[in-house]
Amino acid sequence: MDSIFSMFLNDYYIQVLTMLGIYLIGALGLNLITGVTGQLSFGHAAFLSIGAYTSAILSLKLHIPFALAILAGGLMAGLWGVLLGYPTLRLTGDYLGIATLGFGEIVRVVFLNMSITGGALGLAGIPRSATLTAVLFVVILTVWAMVRLENSRFGRSLVAIREDEIAAEAMGVNITTTKIAAFAIGTFLAGISGGLYAHLIQYLNPSDFGFIKSFEFLTFIVLGGLGSIPGVILGTSVLTLAPEFLRFIADYRMMVYGLLMVLMMIVRPRGLLGGVQLSRLFAKKKVQQTGTSACGGAN
Amino acid sequence: MYLSSNINQLGKIEWRQSREMKSGKLWKLLSLMVITAMLLTGCSGGGGEEKKAAEGDKAAAGGDTIKIGFLGAKTGGHAAYGVETLKGMQMAAKDINDAGGILGKKIEIVEEDHGSKVSEGTNVTQKLITRDKVVAIVGDPTTGITKAAAPIAQQNKVVLLSAGAVGTGVVEIGDYIFRDTLLDAVAAPAVTKYLGEKLGWKKVAVITSMNNDYSVGLTKLFKEALAANKMEIVAEQSIQDGDQNFAAQVTAIKGKNPDGIIFTGYYTEGGLFMKEARKQGMKAVMVGGDGLLSDVLMKMGGEAVEGSMVYCGFAADEAKAGEKTKKFIEAYKAGNNGALPDMFSAQGYDAVMLIADAIKAAGSDVPEKFRAELAKTKDWIGVSGTITFQENREPIKSPVYLLEVKGGKFAVKDTVDVK
Amino acid sequence: MLSQQILNGITLGATYALIALGYTMVYGIIQLINFAHGEIYMVGAFVGVLMVTVFQQGLLVSLGAAMLACMIMGVTIERIAYRPLRRSTRLAPLISAIGVSIFLQTLMTKIKGPQPVAFPPVINDALYKMGPVEISKVQIIILIVASLLMAALHFIVKHVKIGKAMRAASEDYDTAALMGINVNQVISFTFAIGSALAAAGGVLVGIYFNSVSPFMGVTAGLKAFCAAVLGGIGSIPGAMLGGLFLGVAETLGIAGGFDLYKDAIAFTLLIIVLLFRPTGLLGRPIQRKV
Repeated sequence: MDSIFSMFLNDYYIQVLTMLGIYLIGALGLNLITGVTGQLSFGHAAFLSIGAYTSAILSLKLHIPFALAILAGGLMAGLWGVLLGYPTLRLTGDYLGIATLGFGEIVRVVFLNMSITGGALGLAGIPRSATLTAVLFVVILTVWAMVRLENSRFGRSLVAIREDEIAAEAMGVNITTTKIAAFAIGTFLAGISGGLYAHLIQYLNPSDFGFIKSFEFLTFIVLGGLGSIPGVILGTSVLTLAPEFLRFIADYRMMVYGLLMVLMMIVRPRGLLGGVQLSRLFAKKKVQQTGTSACGGAN
Repeated sequence: MYLSSNINQLGKIEWRQSREMKSGKLWKLLSLMVITAMLLTGCSGGGGEEKKAAEGDKAAAGGDTIKIGFLGAKTGGHAAYGVETLKGMQMAAKDINDAGGILGKKIEIVEEDHGSKVSEGTNVTQKLITRDKVVAIVGDPTTGITKAAAPIAQQNKVVLLSAGAVGTGVVEIGDYIFRDTLLDAVAAPAVTKYLGEKLGWKKVAVITSMNNDYSVGLTKLFKEALAANKMEIVAEQSIQDGDQNFAAQVTAIKGKNPDGIIFTGYYTEGGLFMKEARKQGMKAVMVGGDGLLSDVLMKMGGEAVEGSMVYCGFAADEAKAGEKTKKFIEAYKAGNNGALPDMFSAQGYDAVMLIADAIKAAGSDVPEKFRAELAKTKDWIGVSGTITFQENREPIKSPVYLLEVKGGKFAVKDTVDVK
Repeated sequence: MLSQQILNGITLGATYALIALGYTMVYGIIQLINFAHGEIYMVGAFVGVLMVTVFQQGLLVSLGAAMLACMIMGVTIERIAYRPLRRSTRLAPLISAIGVSIFLQTLMTKIKGPQPVAFPPVINDALYKMGPVEISKVQIIILIVASLLMAALHFIVKHVKIGKAMRAASEDYDTAALMGINVNQVISFTFAIGSALAAAGGVLVGIYFNSVSPFMGVTAGLKAFCAAVLGGIGSIPGAMLGGLFLGVAETLGIAGGFDLYKDAIAFTLLIIVLLFRPTGLLGRPIQRKV
């Protein structure tokens, strides 16, 4: 299938699109935590880096097959997600965000000082196994899983937690377990995304997973529309491709990027597709009839 | 925190109002998505043609320019190195083009910014190769991003010559990967020996910048050399690039009273570190690698860096410079309000010149052909020193210059020959 | 040596506190983590350099000019990037703030170049011995200026009308508005004060460490934010305490051999404090309304 892609696309587009796919997987994970469940996370990049380093070390040192290494990276990230989530998810709103931000920075510093990760020298020579086909496959799988999840009993209890925690609890939703489950799935996806990233870039450096990367992911989902799967896809696409499209303005690129972020927020504070759900896009009449508030954000 | 519920309430009211207009807006958004999708596919369609064109180009080596890509940062934390490298490259291109170009073609520098991000660095590399069809890439000035970019250059058979990477594991990536830097593995042992034998140092303090891959690697080399020369490390402290406050580290090493300070980081932190050391009354001088070599060291450190020693493969020392180097320094000063070039600009200049000379020798700008000529480079005199590529493409630059800060300027203290 | 390290820590902490105050005041009123605050501090430091080099001014004039310039900038940013978003989701102004931060940082890189700029010497530094510790003139100046500014802030908040309005707005935004307080004005004022303090922090840090760079706002901003949360975000004395606490803890951590984990010290402390006192050292408990 990769040969088919390379017939239509040059390597630059393949590279950029593969990167987009990888970011999309991570963004969908964060969307589940922040967009759907309403739990603010400023430390998403940490889970990416945990997945990236785990899978990279497994492929480099133990020569484990690509798919297994990626899966292991995801599981490791998910495990840390649970370990972090258990004590911190009782914090509310911004405080959870701040704690995850702190966790992200700690992970980065730890990776910087570990010998197995190569510290500041970074980890090089990871095989480039993350092809566009492989990434596309995972993206489709993730989107399908997320759509299914959104419409399940579990998905609805997540939305309930976002809308009103106390009411959700009163309705019999086990807040702690449900939140941790959402956190585990979200961080698992971050780990998968990180693993694929490692196998695309072929080089890992802790400084690439700072809080700035976490905020990038947050921007993807907020700009697209919190809690909306098509929104996440659009937001991630726009923001990943924007720096590449903006290359023609050369030195002013990042300035314009910053301005665009402000402008887009002012014009559409709920995100480009805020409150839009995939199912509703196809059954548009239903939007006007039902229309539960699928927004709410991370209050 | 006391008001979140209220704000939430208001948010919901606004939401209810906005929903009434939503079906209209939704259409707009849908069309926006369609346009984005069309844009994307439009680009991809073009991409296919470009790809074919690229293949055609490689065989015919057509066009009347030879494109050399610049891979480096113009924004973000590494921007200082990228910007200087680019300046040197542009000067080299200008010199070549003023002299009539090579093989009847002009050199064109294609510049891209990766904002000091690894992920964007790989995108830029891929773009330079696929869209701009460069025959060679100069960069990245840092070891990290070079390591991420090199596999892509290798896979696409494009020459990548880093004008700054000094860490290990760079040229090992493949036979299209080169660098024109003074290797610390060569210089650090030579300098350490000099410090012990000529200056009589016995006890040293070692300072490392932990988030700087260059510094971490250099500290390792210095430690090995110190052990080999039976010199003692009495204090070891870490800093980070971007730090401004070194009070705690200086206080910690001050009590150990070392003969000298080996500082493996970059110039900004080096200058500030010495300033703090003098502020706290320490007398010891600092020695470091070419990461300290910049005017910024004196701007940051002022009086405090007097006597500090820096080794390098390039010294902007007009008095002792060779003909070629002198011309380069003059030209740089003319274009930069009298500022002196640093090692990044000199190595950026040499990188383009090395590639140009290899193309000339091969009589072809096809990377497959001039790569072999580049690998044969021997005793090539550039503005940053004399360069020989070994069998494994690692450069040997000789001699190592040991500079000393004197009256706010770098002056050559001694030269240490490399075997 | 210990007392020397503590003194170093207090000086560092005083600058953290100056920046932290801006975070905490803004958060107290509009619950926004103003991620562009670190960049305001950076711009303040650059204005200081500009005043000293180009206009040949002394320390006090430069400090005043930097504070004034950043006041205007802070108020403008609030008008353009945050005010239109006041009634939207909590994350919208946050993203907008990140956008402003990226913009300011690249703008400064474009104007001044990526190289750090040396802060020209405005005072003749000297070292004084006081018992076991050595204190430099710069350290004394930093401590005095920081204390004066914090005392002035305390006075404004406690005794001046607009300060009382600030407290009212942070207590209950809507009730304050109903009571006839011009909340927009109060918010503008908060941004002005916070930005001025950050600018002062920028100039002082510039003098202390002799260097100013377009990237200095990122880490300092993050650390100061930590300090604000440590002390209890929304609480003004909390920010001062948090700043000092963080500065001392970090310096002692480096001295105690945890230098490799320097940046992690702040965050580890933060998580520990949050777990045991979820609203920080001096923060008030959150009231959950059903």
